Amino acid sequence: MRRRRRRGADAQAVLETALVIPILLFLVCNFIALMVQVTVQEQLDAATALAAQSRFQASESALDPAGTQCCGAHGSAALVTAGLPTGCRYAAETFYGTMSMYTDMLVWQPASLCTSGGDSGGGGAPRRPAVAYPGSPANAEVSCDVGSVGAGGVVIPGYRDRALDPPAGLEVVTCAAATRIDFSKTPLGWGVFWSPTVHATAEALPPPFRQ
Amino acid sequence: MEGGMAPAESRRAHRGRRRAQATVEFAVVVPLFLGCFLAAIDAGLWAVQTSAEVSAVEQAAMVAASAGSSPTAQTAPDARTVTDAVATRLRSALFGTGIASWCDVAADGTCLPDSEERCPSTPAEVQAREGPRVVVICVSEQDPPACVAPPPGVPAPYPPGCDDSPLVTVRVIGFVASLVPPGFGPGSQAFEIPTDISATTHTLRFAP
Repeated sequence: MRRRRRRGADAQAVLETALVIPILLFLVCNFIALMVQVTVQEQLDAATALAAQSRFQASESALDPAGTQCCGAHGSAALVTAGLPTGCRYAAETFYGTMSMYTDMLVWQPASLCTSGGDSGGGGAPRRPAVAYPGSPANAEVSCDVGSVGAGGVVIPGYRDRALDPPAGLEVVTCAAATRIDFSKTPLGWGVFWSPTVHATAEALPPPFRQ
Repeated sequence: MEGGMAPAESRRAHRGRRRAQATVEFAVVVPLFLGCFLAAIDAGLWAVQTSAEVSAVEQAAMVAASAGSSPTAQTAPDARTVTDAVATRLRSALFGTGIASWCDVAADGTCLPDSEERCPSTPAEVQAREGPRVVVICVSEQDPPACVAPPPGVPAPYPPGCDDSPLVTVRVIGFVASLVPPGFGPGSQAFEIPTDISATTHTLRFAP
């Protein structure tokens, strides 16, 4: 009777250990995954912010000549930017050059590289989504709403943020990116069963001499 | 009676076995628990350090992309200037990690102009030159190809992108202090883990 009780206690100890160890490892894996998500978010914020600002390093009227392409990082095909604002390519080059960590576990949500004419709405004006520039690659990891001066001096509007200088608003550059973190491609996939999607949007004001 | 033992002896033997079992359980669970606990602390520490590095390279890229000391400057501010601009921010987050500039020093003590080839390509290269638990800040500038006369029928500027402003890249690379013991982790020789974070942007230049 006593021997059976002892065997029961031993079995209980083994069972407790067998339960506690995976739970402990599960918690640690998820904690590390959360930290990875935080750092990916940080880097995405930094990359979109730099991308939006770098648009202003090119002239508003500069357009990419035929045969221009860029980026093609992270295993994706190069983006053909011929005929698009040079500032838009600058933004893409900045984004792709900065977003260099964890690229193996990121699944990007493709978007149009260069868009124009977005409006935040407000002050009586309706909210308006941006539209892609003709010929803009649709498989970019970042999308930037930029204004430019096209052929023949035609002004193509950028993003109008009506929260700035209301009600007319101020024309700014916005860049946005979204990606899903796929932990199943890493050893963390053992205990992490969620795939968070992180978004980042950055807005850059034109330098004073352009306002 | 159990196995021919007196009841008192049997109870003593049973207590001894229970104590031995508790000791074995303790010896198994404590290292495991401590390992998990330290892993969690280290993950938090690593996230804080990485976050600070990302902010620092972003700020450093803006400094490096600016005109530096003069709006007509044609090269990026050197690694020391950029390091000075972000070192305070980095130092407050990189506990136990040294911060240095990666530059080749000229005879007059200034950094030689940066070029892409001069940046370290791996954290191990930094460790070989600067020692363990040191990160360096490296600035490299990539100039566009020179413009040439286009072939007949091809519009200028040629080749495409030759009139672009230079691309400047700031890298924070090396090993940061951590609780990972020597022999564990990727390429770790001391209590450290590798880091390699960069930011790239086009420069703002008014020079012709």
